[in-house]
Amino acid sequence: MAGKGMRSLSEAMRGLSLAAQTCRTVPVRTAPLISRRSMATEAPVSNITRSVTEQWHPITTVPVTIHSFPSLEPRSLETYSAKHLYLPLRRDILHLAVVYEGDNTRQGTAQAKTRWEVAGSHRKVRPQKGSGKARVGSKQSPLQRGGGKAHGPRNRDFGTKLNRKVYDLAWRTALSYRYRRGELIVTEDGLDLPLPEDFLQQAQAGLLTRELEDAFIQKYVGEILGAMQWGKAHGRTTFITGEERMNLFTAMEVAGENGTALELEDVDVKDLLETGRIVIEKSVLKEMIREHRSDLVTTIAVPAKKKEITLGSLVYPYPKYAEN
Amino acid sequence: MPPRLPFAQAAQCCRKALEVPPKQSSLVSLFAALSVQTRSASILANLSDNKGAYHKRIRRGRGASSGYGKTAGRGMKGTKARNKVNPWFQGGQTPLIFKHGQKGFVNHRAPVMAELNLDRVQAWIDAGRLDPTKTITPRELVRCGLVGIKDGIKLLARGKNEIKTPVDIVVSRASAAAILAVEAAGGKITTRYYTKAAIKNLVSGKSIHTDKPLPVGPEHVESVLQQARTSRKHFYRLPDPTSRWDIEYYRDPAHRGYLSHTLKVGESPSLYFKVPGEKPLVGKKSKKTADATEERLF
Repeated sequence: MAGKGMRSLSEAMRGLSLAAQTCRTVPVRTAPLISRRSMATEAPVSNITRSVTEQWHPITTVPVTIHSFPSLEPRSLETYSAKHLYLPLRRDILHLAVVYEGDNTRQGTAQAKTRWEVAGSHRKVRPQKGSGKARVGSKQSPLQRGGGKAHGPRNRDFGTKLNRKVYDLAWRTALSYRYRRGELIVTEDGLDLPLPEDFLQQAQAGLLTRELEDAFIQKYVGEILGAMQWGKAHGRTTFITGEERMNLFTAMEVAGENGTALELEDVDVKDLLETGRIVIEKSVLKEMIREHRSDLVTTIAVPAKKKEITLGSLVYPYPKYAEN
Repeated sequence: MPPRLPFAQAAQCCRKALEVPPKQSSLVSLFAALSVQTRSASILANLSDNKGAYHKRIRRGRGASSGYGKTAGRGMKGTKARNKVNPWFQGGQTPLIFKHGQKGFVNHRAPVMAELNLDRVQAWIDAGRLDPTKTITPRELVRCGLVGIKDGIKLLARGKNEIKTPVDIVVSRASAAAILAVEAAGGKITTRYYTKAAIKNLVSGKSIHTDKPLPVGPEHVESVLQQARTSRKHFYRLPDPTSRWDIEYYRDPAHRGYLSHTLKVGESPSLYFKVPGEKPLVGKKSKKTADATEERLF
């Protein structure tokens, strides 16, 4: 059952243009093997093994399309090193980074009073012997009603440490995961939500109440992102910009069910993995990778060689004709 | 990556690849056939560290099912179940440490050598952090991060089959295997006397390295004084060994010592023990002949 299911599934996936296996290309078969039986004995032809003399060279760079927003027209092509955006998926490294961020986010301000902190006198409540009742010391004992908590939470720092190079690798692994799944959309700089002119005029003139403004923006954002299949029904979208874009940020605050907007300095590894996709400005992506490549860049001075790591170098339109 | 097309459009354009069987099984049942399934909204729900990172937490005295309940791994009764027993206690019999006492002593004056193995040297050369074309002295070894500053540097032979580059290296001491390995690779090794202060001066540039001992004798005085008068910067000289053990070590050609050139042919590096030679011992033979010629009654 599993074998049959696998074959039909891969065919169905190809029909829906989704890859069954994310990391390798599945060899395409036009018809099932059974229908190609012939009388002559044939040596099976394998698509995977090539000749002995041919060498296999792994990919060193990957292409990234820069789109315009919101039309998503492809505007240019850039390349990034495979060590930036094509790292293998390491769930354990992602886990380390997400847990590290969570630990350091903790406030750690829960605290319960111990028997010494509960207010009251420490007088012995009744004599040791003679009352016929259980022996009792002070009123604040943890055994007493209203007493302190023996081993309760204390104000403490839950922060942990993680090697910088591991954290940077986790960052780039998260970006690579998104890139592989096609959930990393890179746009031109100046990413902002275009609001309709008449709405903006009316809002500036003060003709709309706050509720009306919010309701309109919510509906507008919902419809735009819904049409692009980026909204609530498709896992939400995270927009990452270099600086605060008023329209975009206030819109995503109001229409939070469709996504979220973040500045580069507020982004965490967890944010990169949360929603359905990441929409990021091209200069912000470059800056992000520059900040998180400490395991690739050495601090040891070696005078001889200089290694050039491809960091978003422009491929198309050809640099001679590029605008910037 | 370009944005995804809606499913309907995709099905129309890629119909050729899709061979629809007469009974179309739903995608859900096909998914069920696969072992890898995920129903979570994001990968955050499927993150965990590797198996070896998680260890069983032992909480003793918390019930039988934990495996560490009741006696909590202490066995039945006895002092060790209730208290602590010193590790040297032998039930009352005089402990060994008092019966025999402690053995030996710790020599706090012994020089502590920084150990350097050949595999590390080769790795540094391969990475471009150590230059094999120049003489490798303690200054280069400390500055490139191979060793720290201690009383000296001893070259050892872990990775003796890995060393391929011919190097000219000067260290405090070297093991026999390390000397063999360096010379087999075509290199040259010399051992020279250093102190901690001397190494510090070399690293900071207050001394200039030399693999020759200080010149001894009145004939060298004038040239050294001339040097001192003309040079603007003062350089501290490197010390030579004074103790018997050190002098004998650096006189030994087997250690490639920098004083071994002072030995005469056939001379032993030891300052006390002489090599027995062809010359007879002085005095004994003449005594015997004298006795033989004398006429004695008894």
